[in-house]
Amino acid sequence: MPNKEENIRIGVFVCHCGSNIAGYLNMEELGAYAETLPHVAFVKRNLYTCSEGGINEIKKAIKEQNLNRVVVASCTPRTHEPLFRSSCAEAGLNPYLFEMVNIRDQCSWVHMQQRDDGTAKAKDLIRMGVAKSALLEPQQPIISDVTLRALVMGAGIAGMTSALALANRGYEVVLVEREERLGGMLNVINKLGPSMADAASFAEEKIKAVQSHKNITVFTKARVTEAQGFIGKYKVDIETESGVKKIDIGVIIVATGGRLLVPEGLYNYDGKKVITQLEAETLLKQGLDKGINNVVMIQCAGGRTKEKPYCSRICCQTAVKNAIMIKEQNPASKVSILYRDMQMYGVENEELFRDSRAKGIRYIKYDPEDPPQVKDGSVQVFHSLLGLKMDLAADLVVLSTPIVSQEGAEATSQLLRVPIDDNGFFLEGHVKLRPLDFATDGVFLAGSARFPANIREAVAQGLGAASRASIPLSKGSVVVEPIISILANEDACRGCGLCVALCPYGALEIRKTEKGRKVHVIDVACKGCGVCASTCYQHALSVNSFTDDQINAQINAFLE
Amino acid sequence: MCTGRVDPALVAGAFKKGLDGLLVVGCYFGDCHYISGNFQARAKMDFTRKLLKHIGVNEERLAFRQCSSGEASVFVDLIGKFDEKIRELGPIGGGGDRLKAPEIFEKIGTAQAVLAGEKIRWVIGKRTPFLESGNMYGEIFTEHEFNRAIDMIIVEETEVQEILAKLRQGSQSVTDLAKALAIPSERIFRYITALKRKNMVTLEKVSGRSPIFQLAPQEV
Repeated sequence: MPNKEENIRIGVFVCHCGSNIAGYLNMEELGAYAETLPHVAFVKRNLYTCSEGGINEIKKAIKEQNLNRVVVASCTPRTHEPLFRSSCAEAGLNPYLFEMVNIRDQCSWVHMQQRDDGTAKAKDLIRMGVAKSALLEPQQPIISDVTLRALVMGAGIAGMTSALALANRGYEVVLVEREERLGGMLNVINKLGPSMADAASFAEEKIKAVQSHKNITVFTKARVTEAQGFIGKYKVDIETESGVKKIDIGVIIVATGGRLLVPEGLYNYDGKKVITQLEAETLLKQGLDKGINNVVMIQCAGGRTKEKPYCSRICCQTAVKNAIMIKEQNPASKVSILYRDMQMYGVENEELFRDSRAKGIRYIKYDPEDPPQVKDGSVQVFHSLLGLKMDLAADLVVLSTPIVSQEGAEATSQLLRVPIDDNGFFLEGHVKLRPLDFATDGVFLAGSARFPANIREAVAQGLGAASRASIPLSKGSVVVEPIISILANEDACRGCGLCVALCPYGALEIRKTEKGRKVHVIDVACKGCGVCASTCYQHALSVNSFTDDQINAQINAFLE
Repeated sequence: MCTGRVDPALVAGAFKKGLDGLLVVGCYFGDCHYISGNFQARAKMDFTRKLLKHIGVNEERLAFRQCSSGEASVFVDLIGKFDEKIRELGPIGGGGDRLKAPEIFEKIGTAQAVLAGEKIRWVIGKRTPFLESGNMYGEIFTEHEFNRAIDMIIVEETEVQEILAKLRQGSQSVTDLAKALAIPSERIFRYITALKRKNMVTLEKVSGRSPIFQLAPQEV
């Protein structure tokens, strides 16, 4: 039922969208129909409601006709709702007293060949929109300050890059590293593919820049033990050797990296004659022993298995790079790479691969059903393309093991209330649209914490995450759509926490109040999904602009 | 707004008003901007479907399906098939349903009361914690165990709501209720005792040798 105290006057604007809508639906009929609906005081058909002329019509009608609700029946709210809302606001009407009905995508476009049915459906949708609009209530946007300080977790190359990028923009950065030395895996790596730049000097340069930056506070041998709050206002505890530091933080970047799988029990791994690619990097850094003339590398060692089904992406390029380095140090050596599929994405990696073949590195495809056998001094493999059993001499066997999720990733995920996937890598908000954001606002991710990344990708992601994180920092505040959950009936709430457990965003918490334990909606963290409202067994929670009454009004209007 | 907002009580309300079919289409699991709302939606719709079936509505009138926004042809296929199904079933309370109109709408009203009620909402809300982290004693339920409990609750809650609906029309004895609702009188007695303990039902008077029960004032 509409609010009785108010005299509801609804204006309905039916858009022709040129011929996009008018070409397929009976517009006169729609206009005439809208006039018959309850509380509708004014109806106008526009050629383009979104044109300057159309917008002015809305503004004029709000003032002259004393409208207190506006319904536009046109295209999609995805592109045009903000425009119509702001038009209402300019005419002095609260923008949340606006309702949009999509008669283009949902009627004229999908029912192009059925003019009558399409028109009938448009009438249904307009009737539903009008019914809902009568119950709309004004809302105020939520504005919350942002602490101008970023926390970067992990000081590998991704984390250092993020920290430097933010610090150079003038924001304070707190960089927390678990190890004693900054740099992460970069400290172990020999050369950086495909440019073959020296990893140590690159690391040194970055570490110096980080340590000497006036805006960066570095904590080593430290870890984040507590992070309470939401975007703009986190209270973070950092456990350091000199005690716990409590720091206010605005945004958080997770760059905790990954680690290499140590292939205990695989292919007679011993760390001496049978080693990992990372151990090979160390050997190459020191200079390879002259006695090593035959090297066999085995790809997908412990990777792409039932337990770890993913492809770690970067082990192939690492193997090719190290094979070339071996050839450079000892041109007479024989290097064979036993592979399942070579993953050499990108133009430069492709070139590196071709180069390696020109240098005489051999590639032998093996079948995971019949894996290579590592013996003392040799490797037996069935060449699945030639159909030939081969016995390769091997002074050194190098296993290309996958990057696996960082130790403690799960604890970090619980700490920040952000998700990890089945493999323990952090899960981004959207794989294509928000690759460096978490679904939770104010927390970002970069580097191998997200998924195995090479140095170049880690740098790019570090910069990207810093760029994303700097948006709330540069604005100094976050403005959130007020279409969020609200505790509509505080007395009904029993503080049971049912909703808290199901909230995907950690946007609900139980607080002690004078009336006992009650749920509290952290407005800036809430996305308005509505799970809590449809779950609450006391019907205490609701969602602004999607209340039970409003949805019911739509349902009833539809079934009239 | 997410499929997780779809409140089972609203769904039953729509069927009660004559809706013939409802298709809830959510994102694929693990591929949703709202993270886990679609899991909740599926659980809620699965349960609502069970309840509708229990009271005599054809369960195919309510479906939960998944599709991404980039899959126009999948979406068209989902809608087309569902539309075909509902046309085949015909209007609600007709040949497609075990229970016929107008009785079916009264029964759906009972279902709506069940779905808006405390017990069911509590149990459905606890589903994820029960299956994933366990109850307060740390006992983790299997889906099978949970569903078995749900089946029992559906029967009990429907009967309880029917008793309350009858009492709303006037006070009655256990025997009268048992006759009117075709439920064994021992079960009615058990429900009445529980309702009395919750102060939802009170003893009005004793007529002859049978006690007559009425709704507590706040429940009327």
